[in-house]
Amino acid sequence: MNGTRLSRYAAFLLAGLVCLAALPFFGPKDTVIRIGVYSGSYWDTPNGDCYQILDHAIRRFERAHENVRVEYVSGITTDFYSEWLSEQILQGTEPDLYFVLPEDFNLLVSCGALAGMDALMEADAEFDASLYYQPSLQSGASEGRQYALPHESVPTIMFVNKTLLERNHIPVPDNDWTWDDFYRICAQVTNVEARRFGAYGYTWLHALYSNGASLFSRDGSACYLADERIQDAIQFVKSLRDLNGGYQVTARDFDLGNVAFRPFLFSEYRAYQPYPWRVKKYSSFQWDCVSMPAGPHGDNVSELHTMLLGISSRTRHQALAWELCKLLSLDEEVQKELYTYSRGISPLRAVAEDAEIMARLRSEIPGGEGLGWEAIGEIMSTAVSAPRFDGYEQALMMAESAVSNEMAQEQARGNGLAAAQREINTFL
Amino acid sequence: MERKNAPPEFAALMFTVNLVILLFYTSTVFVTTARICRSFHAYEFLSNVREMPGRPWEMPVRSLIPFALLTLLSFGKYRWNLSGKNWNGILCVTEIALCVLTVASLNFYYSGLALLVLSDLTHYIQNRRVRLGFIIALSLLFALGRYEIAFSFTSRVPFSTYLNYYSQSVRGYLAGIESVLVSLNVLLFVYDMILLFTGQKEENVRINRLNSQLHEANRRLRKNAVELERLTETRERNRLAREIHDTLGHTLTGIVMGTEAVNALLDVAPEEAKRRIAVIHKTAKEGLEDVRRSIKALRPDGLEKRSMEKALEELITNFHLTTSVEIDYQQCAGPLSFASDEEDTLYRIIQEGMTNSVRHGHATEIEIRITRDGDLLTVSIRDNGLGCAELEEGFGLRHMEERLGLLGGSMACGNRNDDSDDEQRGFYLIASLPVRGREKNEHD
Repeated sequence: MNGTRLSRYAAFLLAGLVCLAALPFFGPKDTVIRIGVYSGSYWDTPNGDCYQILDHAIRRFERAHENVRVEYVSGITTDFYSEWLSEQILQGTEPDLYFVLPEDFNLLVSCGALAGMDALMEADAEFDASLYYQPSLQSGASEGRQYALPHESVPTIMFVNKTLLERNHIPVPDNDWTWDDFYRICAQVTNVEARRFGAYGYTWLHALYSNGASLFSRDGSACYLADERIQDAIQFVKSLRDLNGGYQVTARDFDLGNVAFRPFLFSEYRAYQPYPWRVKKYSSFQWDCVSMPAGPHGDNVSELHTMLLGISSRTRHQALAWELCKLLSLDEEVQKELYTYSRGISPLRAVAEDAEIMARLRSEIPGGEGLGWEAIGEIMSTAVSAPRFDGYEQALMMAESAVSNEMAQEQARGNGLAAAQREINTFL
Repeated sequence: MERKNAPPEFAALMFTVNLVILLFYTSTVFVTTARICRSFHAYEFLSNVREMPGRPWEMPVRSLIPFALLTLLSFGKYRWNLSGKNWNGILCVTEIALCVLTVASLNFYYSGLALLVLSDLTHYIQNRRVRLGFIIALSLLFALGRYEIAFSFTSRVPFSTYLNYYSQSVRGYLAGIESVLVSLNVLLFVYDMILLFTGQKEENVRINRLNSQLHEANRRLRKNAVELERLTETRERNRLAREIHDTLGHTLTGIVMGTEAVNALLDVAPEEAKRRIAVIHKTAKEGLEDVRRSIKALRPDGLEKRSMEKALEELITNFHLTTSVEIDYQQCAGPLSFASDEEDTLYRIIQEGMTNSVRHGHATEIEIRITRDGDLLTVSIRDNGLGCAELEEGFGLRHMEERLGLLGGSMACGNRNDDSDDEQRGFYLIASLPVRGREKNEHD
């Protein structure tokens, strides 16, 4: 009797499991693709309806794919987006496709949260990697494998306080200026008593990119901290700092119009240069921007920040997610809307250098001189995105502390850096 | 193959402890994940572990389902009586596979489940070599299953990372629960093994003791049987000697002396000799009567008073009543009226045949058939007993054969399934006896 009762329980248990397993098949017929997106602008600039681009793309995608719905959660601010995404991953409810902030890319790749895209890219005949600016595409790659596609790029450029330069009878430098020009202008402008300074926020990291150096190898296996060109960069930044006579220049000094140069994101330029936003910030002086100054061994190269799109490694709709990802990243129509609703630069050559778009942008900015839009192509293709690999933040921190030690010393050159390089290489 | 020494309650206790441990790990991970998300520490957690933890529902579902199946199998195999060589292998491999699946689904946080399966299989597997194999395999799983070792092969979020989310005191509390539960499981396992091995030792000692007692009793029984037979034989011989001496001796002596006298008187007084011969004839006749009476005294009780048919029916009925063996008796030989020695033999054969079937063959059904073909009477007795591996003619069979031989009959016996057209097991005995019919002179 006990035996039959036991087998009856077993049968019930089995039936229950079968029902549970069959449940998804009786659910709604529509396939739902979820996309993770932040609200507002990642570039810390005001912009209009942040979901416009996405909404338009979704409408097109749904029209092209029957029985597919695309959903997203709105209202997640950029500050909270990383935390939100991590929570979704922990809870196993992450979207099929999501925007990847540049600083999160490393973490998501090393967690295995992002699906590798190499196979998808190869299998897709429509996909052509050469349509992208290579630095933009490279920011979605880690250790030789592609994990995300670029959606929007923003290079670092140099802000110039035109008013301050004019007062000192210095012309605004050209886009092919060098460290020497930079140093000369800074030296001319600096007047410690009058609280006027050459540059704010220009670090050895900015300097090394424009000196043709790289701190880490692409695959993250080696650190080149003791490289001659990096040492040059450090020395250069140190000499700039020495101009200030020990005074720590602050952002406020720049805002007040007392600093000639400050590296900034390109988005800032696009947001605050045209009306109406130009009255909001930096209104006490005229300003424009130029590319970064070139070092003796390098070019006018700047660092590139790229907003990426990645596919969850656990998605059940990888093919659809890939289609949507391609639409947002590779479609010219969608990418052109970036210039209406966002402040970045399209990672697509064809869009970023489109004559119509250039004309529109030029008309937005009064005067329209300064940074030539034609230079954008040059900046985008030479820009450097910092290598992304597991342990990048930690290694960078080690390098930074070694460099700040180095800069604190008066005469030492290289010894401390060589030691630090060995240490970091061991860590890597 | 039954579960020895370990009461099912004990196995149930071990399964319960393991279920509690499973629930402890899965619920800790589940609750901690929820708390991490609620307190906005998800990004920090993810940067620490640099691994993607499974979906929160995956661990409980994926570990509890194989555990439930393991429990079902472990208890079910005794209920559903799944034994036999094929089942053994399948069951053991399945149980180990379910165990590995559960442990792997738990991210190797806990491998004590291997001990549970080890204990279960140790009770189940009786073959020493196979058992040793499983002990080694599961011990390896237990040892390698510690996640410090397993983690060098898999990349999972260690349990301690979840504990680190909590404050010092809560962490200590949870680690305490973990270690108590895990140790409890180990203790139960050790206790179970001690029970099993001491129990087996006691059992062996008891069996040896009983075995030697049985041998002794058997030896004594055989000795007594021989003694008894010799005693019976002596008594019977004495009685026969007395009988012969009292009756036949007396009469023959009288006849010998009478004939000597007649011899002397025949020529002298033929009349007197004639008278004497009449007396001798009377004496001889009386002697014959006496012999007949003595023989009668030796005849079976059943035949003493009634006819053969009645006697046989009564014998069979009584046998059925005392032994409750089903007897199918078919008498197809017409009226059974033979010479008394023939009747005796017939009676004895049936009596001995039935006794043998029950005593040696442990039969529950006996078929007796008497047929007659002209002067040849045939008795066949078949049973459904054990038969006999090797035919050893005991006293019973030899006596039957002797009795039949005296009357010119013959006998055949053996196992029924040795015969090509009889597939049932059991013993058969066929006796053939040429009958003379009831002799006239016996009645004179």
